[in-house]
Amino acid sequence: MFTKSLAALGMALAFSTIAFAHDSAHEEKTVKIAAPWEITSFDLAISGYVIQKLEIMENLVDADENGVLRPGLATDWAASEDAMTWRFTLRNNVTFHDGTAFNAGTALTALTRAWKQPGVLSKAPIKSITAEDNVIIFEMEKAFAALPALLAHATTIIPAAASFDEAGAPVAFVGTGPFKVSAYTPPQSIDLERYDNYWGKKAKIAKAGYLAAGRAETRALLAETGDANLVFTFDPAGFNGLQAVDSVETIAVPIPRVVTLKVNAGHAFFADPKARQALSLAINRQAIATSITRFPEAAASQLFPPALNSWHNTDLPKLEYDMEKAKMLLAELGWQKGEDGILVKNGERFAIQLRTFPDRPELPLIATVLQASWKEIGIELDVSVANYSQIPAGHQDGSLHVALYARNYGLTPDPIGTVLQDFAAGGGDWGAMGWENAQVAQALEEIAAKGDVEKRAKNIALVSSIIQEELPLIPITWYQHTASIDANLEDVIIDPLQRSYGLSTMRWKK
Amino acid sequence: MYKKLIAALLKRGLQALIVALIVGLVSFAMMQALPGDAAFRIAAGRYGYDLMDAAAAEAVRQELGLDRHWSLQLFDWLKALAQFNLGESFIYRGSVSEKIAVQLGHTLTLSLSALFVSILIAFPIGIYTGLNPNGWADKFFLQLSIFVRAIPPFAVGLTLVLIFSVHLKLFPVAGFRSFHHLILPAFTLGIGMAAVSNRVIRDSVLEAMHSDWQLFSRIKGLPSGLTLRAHVLRNAALPSVTYIGVQMAYLIEGVVIIETLFAWPGIGHALIHAIFGRDIAMVQGTALTLGLIYVGLNLVIDFLCSFIDPRSAKS
Amino acid sequence: MIFFASYSPLKLYRKIGLSRSIGLGLLSIIIISTVIGPDLVGHDPAKQDLLHARQMPNAVHLLGTDHLGRDMAARLLSGARLSLSLGILSLVTAAFLGISLGIIAAWFGTWTDRFLTSFADAILALPGLLLVLILMASAPGSWWLLYIGISLTLWVEFFRYTRQRSRIILAHPSVDASKNLGLSNYFILTRHIFPELRNGLFTISAFGIASAITAIAALGFVSVGIRPPMAEWGLMMTQLLPYWREAPFLILQPIICLVLTILSLHLSVGGFHKK
Repeated sequence: MFTKSLAALGMALAFSTIAFAHDSAHEEKTVKIAAPWEITSFDLAISGYVIQKLEIMENLVDADENGVLRPGLATDWAASEDAMTWRFTLRNNVTFHDGTAFNAGTALTALTRAWKQPGVLSKAPIKSITAEDNVIIFEMEKAFAALPALLAHATTIIPAAASFDEAGAPVAFVGTGPFKVSAYTPPQSIDLERYDNYWGKKAKIAKAGYLAAGRAETRALLAETGDANLVFTFDPAGFNGLQAVDSVETIAVPIPRVVTLKVNAGHAFFADPKARQALSLAINRQAIATSITRFPEAAASQLFPPALNSWHNTDLPKLEYDMEKAKMLLAELGWQKGEDGILVKNGERFAIQLRTFPDRPELPLIATVLQASWKEIGIELDVSVANYSQIPAGHQDGSLHVALYARNYGLTPDPIGTVLQDFAAGGGDWGAMGWENAQVAQALEEIAAKGDVEKRAKNIALVSSIIQEELPLIPITWYQHTASIDANLEDVIIDPLQRSYGLSTMRWKK
Repeated sequence: MYKKLIAALLKRGLQALIVALIVGLVSFAMMQALPGDAAFRIAAGRYGYDLMDAAAAEAVRQELGLDRHWSLQLFDWLKALAQFNLGESFIYRGSVSEKIAVQLGHTLTLSLSALFVSILIAFPIGIYTGLNPNGWADKFFLQLSIFVRAIPPFAVGLTLVLIFSVHLKLFPVAGFRSFHHLILPAFTLGIGMAAVSNRVIRDSVLEAMHSDWQLFSRIKGLPSGLTLRAHVLRNAALPSVTYIGVQMAYLIEGVVIIETLFAWPGIGHALIHAIFGRDIAMVQGTALTLGLIYVGLNLVIDFLCSFIDPRSAKS
Repeated sequence: MIFFASYSPLKLYRKIGLSRSIGLGLLSIIIISTVIGPDLVGHDPAKQDLLHARQMPNAVHLLGTDHLGRDMAARLLSGARLSLSLGILSLVTAAFLGISLGIIAAWFGTWTDRFLTSFADAILALPGLLLVLILMASAPGSWWLLYIGISLTLWVEFFRYTRQRSRIILAHPSVDASKNLGLSNYFILTRHIFPELRNGLFTISAFGIASAITAIAALGFVSVGIRPPMAEWGLMMTQLLPYWREAPFLILQPIICLVLTILSLHLSVGGFHKK
């Protein structure tokens, strides 16, 4: 009899806690999106990038799928002659989802908040941000040409005052975008409705739902069964499997993200560029790209991928795979094979640690490949798979040997901000370590400061060729952004910069 | 009777208080003892690898006062706890109790449904095989239980999805908004639990069958149907309920994998992220909640046990 | 069950019956191949061949190759050492702790019981997962921490089951009778308590090894405890999971190994508690 009462209890709970949800027949179908990213918090510094992709909030500056900047909440912008002052003119007649007006005051509050929080603005040389009528003015500490690109980034989206409580803590997602939030269950899902007073072209679909599904296997199944109409980021095996499914179209777009090795050039083992070249020569990029990431054409021949068209340098010689040459270079540096097959110099074994993290499932796999491959040239590699914060932490305290991660050079439409962090004097947490090159630093400063096209191209070519030669970072493969689209949807645009899921342009086929 | 009940409740209340304190202190101590810089971890959890760097970590350290002596941090937490405030999540900012309230509801729904499924499966099989030991059914269910138990829960889940979502198109693959979404995760968990508990029930029934009580009542001349219900099942129920109680404690955390696989928002999932991200406030809050649930669960099991067999409640 | 060496196979068979012989035979095969290890198939479990990954079983690679082109048979064999030693050791530790504390709590009752129970409750109330994860976080990939963590999650079952059952057994009139007859505590332990506990404990134990190994798989699922190129059955289950549609024979192999191991254990001890 106690089973009965337990059963009743279980039933009662199951039914009472779960609300029944069903689409009624005459209503238009909801577009369901599945992606790996959880929406954990109302804080935009944390979850702004999903809010931007879902087109709930917008930036002053927008970008198309080719990375070309176009007006967003600002209609136009201009820098002073010396690029020390930027003025952004704001759009009129824009309302937030709660009906309040968008104006210079709300924009100023939002941008100041973004500037004070970790994000792209906090790293820009900004002296002050002020508002004047419907113009936002940035005073810079030094000439800075890339500011508009930063204002297209997810950490600079503009929330309404209603997104915060009296104490200034974020409590809601209220923006100006073509979609407004109708339900939110952190961290897993968010439901959207078309915002009918949107200032621009109104969305064609009425409703959308977002589900964060952490496992790639789950996402592949969601795509296959049609439980999600638009699914992002697959594992290679899952993506392969979807090719055979008729009800979905799969798409892979090259994106400016690179799997790269960071090498501590300050460490005695790696101080000589020859040592770093040897490490690079002992990486079979083709095999990794064929067998692990499964886009053979994405084996990295240089750091900047073709997707980053103004930075990709077609004149550079490709990075090679040559085990014999790698062994030779190490021998030239005085390394000799010890009894256990590991190289020795001055009584020290060539035993190093590689730090990587599991958040991108291919990283531990690539690390395992490197471990086996480098063992053949006499390097003993201990692979530590843990939290990614151990990489910047190791950069700061100098304990890092090599680290494997995926670096995004498409964070903003113009990657100069990221490149500057990685290769300017002193290196960066996710860039060069113990490596400095005056020519590169000088060239990067010029690129950041001035918009002169010809000079810029020359400087970029210089930077990429020095990086290729010196290898402070050793690139391994470039990334593909993978997605599946329900065959009943049309006009879907997959954004390689991953700023948008393209919800506002897509529609159901008639 | 009522006096007894109140005394039991008081005892459990006191226990709850002690458990709360111990859990809070121990989880705090363990989080403090971990190697590595918490500020870096928290910044990583907040901003992701594209934006997290040493400067962000430094900002986090300042904001949360992580460089203060540990005793001050602990004191703050205890002070807030005394006012029934679990504090603010280090990573997600917002209030810890609000987060837990949302996620706990989903976890309990899933756990209780899984328990319900497991009872539904395990009791009939366990009782039948216990009454007919070494028959073909007994052997078959033994092999089946072993097989199921050796498959990790995520593989069980994927198999169910393959059959019921992909091929039969009966239930959705993942999500949580409707009753339909609950079926597959609840069965994945429930089947795993039933694989062990049906054997425990079987053994208990078998032993009760061979016990002196059973023999005695047969001699007394009670018809065998009555004997079964009155004696065997009652005696077999006690270890079974105890065991299911133990499983229940595992279940609440065992859901972690199922929550991740089926994109179900839950407390296990939240706890894992909190540990990885060194979200000490969140870890303490979650551990505390789970600890209290555990005490509550014990109360229910004690009650059930003394209801089934008053002797077991002698102390 | 270790003393079967002195019997001839036929005598052994007569003595212990069919299912136990199968169980013991299987168990000895598993133990012997675990001891010999990867040498049995002549492949290095860490040797990769990326361009020949995920091969079906063939003449060179008897069980095929994994996602990095490593020989599956060699990896299963080298994984068996880690998995079985970890599984059995943590099970024995957990069983010893759980059973002895459970009997002590039931036997002495009152304060001892109250102390042990609240101590156990306090530990139990800390989510076991929290313990294991925090242990693992302090030194990823450490065998000892994995062992401690898994033992800590497993002992609970033994303790609660033993305590609950023993209390009932000790309250039974026949125990009083034995006490009144002046029989020793040892007698009560071996004649009253153990026989009653045996069946349940065997069941919990056999499943305990499975729990230990699937617990490692579960840890791997949340990306804890990975240290390449280590091979371990539980971790192999998680690492091969992404290929479950493409090459289902890969993830099935460690699962089948685990099934066979538990089955052989179950069959081997099974004969002892037949009525």
